[in-house]
Amino acid sequence: MGVKAKKPLLTTMAVAVALSLTVAACSNGNNGGKNSNSDASAAPSASANAGNSGTNATDEALKPIEISAFIGAPGQSPTPDNKLFKKIKEDLGITFKTEFLVGDLEQKLGVMIAGGDYPDLITADPKLVSAGAVIPLEDLIEQYAPKLKEHYAKYWNRMKDPSDGHIYWLPNYGAYQGNVNETFYSGPAFWIQKAVLKEFGYPKLQTLDDYMKLIREYQAKYPEIDGQKTIGFTTLASDWRTFGLLNAPEHLTGHPNDGGVVVDNGVASVFATQDISKTYYKELNGLYNEGLMDKEAFTQNYDQYLAKLTQGNVLGMFDQHWNFQTAEDSLNTQGKSDRTYVGFPLVYDTSTKDYYRDRAVINLNNGFGISVDAKDPKRIIQALEQLMDEKYQKMFTWGEEGVDYQVGADGKYTRTPEQRKNYEDPAWKLANLGDGIYGYLPKIEGTLSDGNATSPGGDPVEFYDSLKDVDKEVLNAYGHKTWTEFFSMPPDNPVYYPAWQIDLIDGSDASIANKKMTDASLKFLPRAIMSKPDQFDKVWQDYVNEYKKINVKAYEDRINEQIQWRIKNWSTN
Amino acid sequence: MAKPVDTIAVEAAIQPKKTRKSKRFKNQGQLMWMSLPVLIYVMLFSYYPIWGWTMAFQNYKPAKSFGEQEWVGLKQFKFLFTDDSFLRVLRNTIGMSAINMVLGFVTAIVFAILLNEVKNKLFKRSIQTISYLPHFLSWIIVTGIVATSLSVDGGIVNEVLMKLGIIHEPIMWLSEPKYFWGIVGASHVWKEVGWNAIIYLAAITSIDPSLYEAAEIDGANRYHKMWYITLPGIKSIVIILLIMNLGWILEAGFEVQYLLGNGVVVDWSETIDIFVLKYGLKQGNYSLATAAGIFKTVVSITLIYAANTIAKRFGEERLI
Amino acid sequence: MRKRTLQLEPAIFGTVNAIIMILLAVVTLYPFLNTLAVSFNAGLDTIRGGIYVWPREWTLQNYKAVFVTGTVFNAFFISIARTVLATVLSLFLTTMLAYTVSRKEYAFRKPITIIIVMTMYFNAGLIPYYFLVKDLHLLNNFLVYIVPGLVSAFNMIVIRTYIGTLSESLIESAKVDGAGDFRIFLQVILPLCQPVLATVALFVAVGQWNSWFDTFLFTSSKQELSTLQYELMKLLSSAMNSNSNPALQNGGDASAAKAMVTPLSIRAAITIVASLPILVVYPFLQKYFVVGMQLGGVKE
Repeated sequence: MGVKAKKPLLTTMAVAVALSLTVAACSNGNNGGKNSNSDASAAPSASANAGNSGTNATDEALKPIEISAFIGAPGQSPTPDNKLFKKIKEDLGITFKTEFLVGDLEQKLGVMIAGGDYPDLITADPKLVSAGAVIPLEDLIEQYAPKLKEHYAKYWNRMKDPSDGHIYWLPNYGAYQGNVNETFYSGPAFWIQKAVLKEFGYPKLQTLDDYMKLIREYQAKYPEIDGQKTIGFTTLASDWRTFGLLNAPEHLTGHPNDGGVVVDNGVASVFATQDISKTYYKELNGLYNEGLMDKEAFTQNYDQYLAKLTQGNVLGMFDQHWNFQTAEDSLNTQGKSDRTYVGFPLVYDTSTKDYYRDRAVINLNNGFGISVDAKDPKRIIQALEQLMDEKYQKMFTWGEEGVDYQVGADGKYTRTPEQRKNYEDPAWKLANLGDGIYGYLPKIEGTLSDGNATSPGGDPVEFYDSLKDVDKEVLNAYGHKTWTEFFSMPPDNPVYYPAWQIDLIDGSDASIANKKMTDASLKFLPRAIMSKPDQFDKVWQDYVNEYKKINVKAYEDRINEQIQWRIKNWSTN
Repeated sequence: MAKPVDTIAVEAAIQPKKTRKSKRFKNQGQLMWMSLPVLIYVMLFSYYPIWGWTMAFQNYKPAKSFGEQEWVGLKQFKFLFTDDSFLRVLRNTIGMSAINMVLGFVTAIVFAILLNEVKNKLFKRSIQTISYLPHFLSWIIVTGIVATSLSVDGGIVNEVLMKLGIIHEPIMWLSEPKYFWGIVGASHVWKEVGWNAIIYLAAITSIDPSLYEAAEIDGANRYHKMWYITLPGIKSIVIILLIMNLGWILEAGFEVQYLLGNGVVVDWSETIDIFVLKYGLKQGNYSLATAAGIFKTVVSITLIYAANTIAKRFGEERLI
Repeated sequence: MRKRTLQLEPAIFGTVNAIIMILLAVVTLYPFLNTLAVSFNAGLDTIRGGIYVWPREWTLQNYKAVFVTGTVFNAFFISIARTVLATVLSLFLTTMLAYTVSRKEYAFRKPITIIIVMTMYFNAGLIPYYFLVKDLHLLNNFLVYIVPGLVSAFNMIVIRTYIGTLSESLIESAKVDGAGDFRIFLQVILPLCQPVLATVALFVAVGQWNSWFDTFLFTSSKQELSTLQYELMKLLSSAMNSNSNPALQNGGDASAAKAMVTPLSIRAAITIVASLPILVVYPFLQKYFVVGMQLGGVKE
């Protein structure tokens, strides 16, 4: 560069924000299993306490408190005159001073830990535990937070830190009460356009062969869609969004989403170079050479991928639904709803039972912990306890009664189209709801004590209202009422599930091996898929050889050690 | 007043001889007062934190105090230099850096000189302002546009090349390793040419207009003037910038490569910075990043020293 | 004969040159126009692609999303304050230093130059730097924007090189008149350096204006000190994050997450809001390039 102004110290140190967004990588849109064993009777007793906050152990009036919180993910602070937080301040004396992450989390935590300056509440990170930045919470919860204790009772052992047995974090998702209405499926699947299904009379797709056959036939029949060349199948492997390329084989063999490993009989093994993977990529190699596979699949970035889906000429892909949701929204607004997708839980052969959909898991190593710098940890845990009251939980999700929703004579909550529209307006949300911090607080999910869903999204009426005609036609054709019914009802989760939640420990051999494995896959899989059919085996062998250079065993050992640990410690609550 | 200025070359030649001993002491006193406070400031903000380089020899953990850190000797350097990919990322870094530097210099200088030849003031200013606009766009936007333009499926570059009959089927630009460095270089030029030219435009203004007038009387044409007056007029700044930039040969960055790269071209797209990011910072290993920083510094200072010596030998403007 | 070629040739050159310049302008203007168009286009529509220099579905939604929290206004003033203050101070100190090391008779000229130049090529690292700032009580302090970056080695060298091209006789004659170095610096060097100072001012100002990393590290817990770039970064990363996993954002229901603004479109709006104020600086500085020329003529 001709004029390259000396990069000031600061910018040199600044690391790509792009990278910082990887935090969401492993959250895979669990949609809540129908986990209804939490007894609903706990809830009414909880709300009875609402009026006089803290009946036991906290007889003195709770003094007002300002709580500083750091959230290790990007987000937006509410407006200064936010309705919800005003109410919370008036009622409970709690003010939140929230800081969201901007930039790179590793750097932020690095200086925070080095400098030893922590806010009162901080979102979970293993580094903070090893740095001694957070305090054990179990005694505080036992003493001052009966509702939280009740809420987490089933998960109590799981929440304990594997190394020292203390509870440091309050999981923000996955603790359910009452019924969970699963309507919408946001997890992994092989997706196919509704128009393709319609063309062939809504056939039932079970195997990868069924699916590919349909794509081949449709493509042969319609080489162009709306003037664009039909793309049979695409995949996304850009930045951290690599699951589209890497995760399919485990599902095709009836394994749930355990990330990079399949677990058989409690033993995890890396499947990337196993035959179950080879079969899948060989199939893609075939597609590629027939000209059905997207040529740009491996070079496209996320924006290009969405743009492609939005044009409506991609027949199918393997992905997690939330990852391409925006493309479907755009297709709907264009009136091209028949180009949106239905997900199928494909397997290699029909003797395998699909295991795409899973039961909700408690979101361990997430949510808030209380830092060593917090002046009054007792008051903070009491504040979180106060917010667990259904009265406030509802305000976070439904809003203000009579303003943002109505309660009918039958006790059901309803919303008018205008009220619904508000929820799509980010500006309105910032002024009226508390989305930012709410996402990280302990929360009630499932059903409220009065029988309503905890949030509008879980309400069946809300779901049916959002269906397009095309959607209804598809659902009727398959005899389903919701999208989740395309998937087998998941069995109870194995006690160690999911393996992707296991902390590999930064800088360890396991973690470095994991990084190298992903790199090798991203490098060799595209080559294998794009090779001439007779070259495939050779490239595949190169790929396998590359893996042999990596310390895969360190990775597997870490996973297996933790699986065993979980089986030992989690089998009882 | 002083004698009229002839040429810059003459000026430079006579400068050093003119110091007068009697004035020397007094001058130095004021110069010292002007420079020392600034120097102390620089020592504080730039040199004092260098104690942090000790991290490169530790297994640094932010939670521990300096005394509690575990010392690991040269382990971090070993990890860096013995990794399979190190030579590859070093090659890529130097390759892309060199391409960027050469392209950046040449395009900015040519642009500055050509723009200087534009006579209409309004036109000149408009072009100048427009050309520096892309500097303000983030790489994510620029690479987005680059990727779209290079698309196999209706990307403008392939469309144009096909229309012109240069190629017969679209080239998959971003999945061919051999194109990657060029694409990165071209993107840099696109984004920074106007910005980079600013410094040369400023330098051109320091050229005495009478030189042009004199040359015109001697019958010099436009090209003569560019070659014999404008270019020598900005030579000193060009050489200084070249030397300085040589020191940044290992700073090829990571953003563009990260945003434009993909698994297929990874052997040609990964730079040292990406490597350090992946195995250092992302693994909570601050020590590795520090070790890489020290390595870069050593390389930079060696290069600068060499370049400066060469410049000195040729009697050119030098950095130090 | 000669006269004719002289008349014809400039015309051809002028035309060819103008065409090259226009082509270059088109190529460099395009990404900016494209960003502008995207910023005024409906988010869900933009995903389709095919937006070039004109919006397809006009909307102000993207800008509304930028201004909705109101924090950008205060941040805007902080950004202006830091940019103006730092630019003025930095110009003064850097030029002063550059002048001293341009004096061939100055005994410390070489060691000082070496010390300053070296700072361009090492980086102590984030954590020791954080400790320094903390020890100086600059955390959550407006001064942290100004103080650490006042002297730039690169800019100093650029100014020194420019001073080197000025006529030595001017300084000599001022000395004969009995002026000290500080006075020469103020009265001779500063006015003569206008073109290069305009350039360096632009570098410093743009660097200051675009900086968000210092806010991120040192003042992020104090909202009153937030800068425009930091607020916009916040907005952008939160938009990108909400797109990365709507399932989490809405307690497991993605159908409720129909985004009115998408990361793509909000990024465009942010880019425009962030760069427009600083873009106007350059045309204003351009006039100093011309002033420099006139001064050059006065030298005789």
